[in-house]
Amino acid sequence: MILSDIAVPEGLWDTSKTPEGVVANWFYRDGSTVEAGAKIAELMVEKTVFDIAAPAAGELHILVPKDGIVRPGTLIGRIDGA
Amino acid sequence: MASKSNRILTMSHAIAEGIANEMRTDPSVFVMGEDIAAYGGIFGATTGLLAEFGEQRIRDTPISETAFIGAGVGAAMAGMRPIVELMFVDFFGVCMDAIYNLAAKNIYFSGGNCKVPLVIMTATGGGYSDAGQHSQTLHATFAHMPGLKVAVPSNAYDAKGLMISAIRDDSPVLYMFHKGLQGLAWMASPEKAATEVPDDAYAIPLGEAKVVRPGKDATIVTLSMMVHRSMEAAEQLAKDGIDVEVVDLRTLVPLDRATVFKSVAKTGRLIVVDEDYSSFGVTAEIITSVVERDPTVLKVKPRRLAFPDIPIPYSRPMEQFALPNAGKITEAVRESVKKGR
Repeated sequence: MILSDIAVPEGLWDTSKTPEGVVANWFYRDGSTVEAGAKIAELMVEKTVFDIAAPAAGELHILVPKDGIVRPGTLIGRIDGA
Repeated sequence: MASKSNRILTMSHAIAEGIANEMRTDPSVFVMGEDIAAYGGIFGATTGLLAEFGEQRIRDTPISETAFIGAGVGAAMAGMRPIVELMFVDFFGVCMDAIYNLAAKNIYFSGGNCKVPLVIMTATGGGYSDAGQHSQTLHATFAHMPGLKVAVPSNAYDAKGLMISAIRDDSPVLYMFHKGLQGLAWMASPEKAATEVPDDAYAIPLGEAKVVRPGKDATIVTLSMMVHRSMEAAEQLAKDGIDVEVVDLRTLVPLDRATVFKSVAKTGRLIVVDEDYSSFGVTAEIITSVVERDPTVLKVKPRRLAFPDIPIPYSRPMEQFALPNAGKITEAVRESVKKGR
């Protein structure tokens, strides 16, 4: 089993001004099969949206649901590539 | 790209994808409006389009609806297929001559020699304390005018298919999306407004209502946000053994009177739910469509739930008091069912 972390990239936004963002949407349900590079989620910080792409192909496991609070580095999900 | 049928899109992304699908295959399609390019539309309906299609085809305009909706009519008559965004439907006043007197009439006034393949995309609806000039739905204001078609999606799948039909149509189409269905992070949206959406282009014909919940005891006819409120009510009523059929109109012009009548003929009870003002509106038109054809199908008097005939209040308690909601719908259905037994 190869697990790939889906983490909020470090430095994605200026945390000195806005420490936190939210998961605005997941585009696949928990347990769905996704392709590598597919847009799987979007984050919103103030009114700016950041896309999150799948780091690998496999089964998506969501760790932070829609509307959950995130910071750079937060692990929001995993992809099981087995 | 492989088809990803398990992908769930918000309504805003589904609209943008429908536009992108058509823009890839038809060079005459372009988009104009306030903050639709760099910002992606304040309700997200044009997100990502500037990056793919560039500023010649995705055009930010000055704050002058008079100018750019008028320009949209002219461009449509000159052979283009413009989509113009009227940021809030409430702003219609300054461009109503272009909509009512030019877009709606020029096919007829030219004896059919000119087409007007224009889409006017606009945001509707309240419930988030934005007051009386930013919260209206105004469905009837546009459905009333001969020459305009009107599409009013309630979910992402329908939103994409109706947008594609609107773009391909040779008549002007008002495409009215409810802000509270768009799936924006800063505005609550019903979970079921986001749906699985195929990657590829597909068209949902204008003029086909959809029975979104089959039932036998009463018919709710509704549209847009109120589809979700009606479904909440139907689920509540089901716990008490009341089986409600819910019809999502999806388009107001053309109006699928046949589907409405068929449902009411089956259930014998009609409740119409609309977020637009009550008088002279969608609710009256639906009820009339049934009673003109055959009033004897009704076991009890028809009912309507709509926004009272007042400007929409800013105050949250006052606005929420006035809006139709699941509780009011549940009560109206209960009264109809009780009387008809």
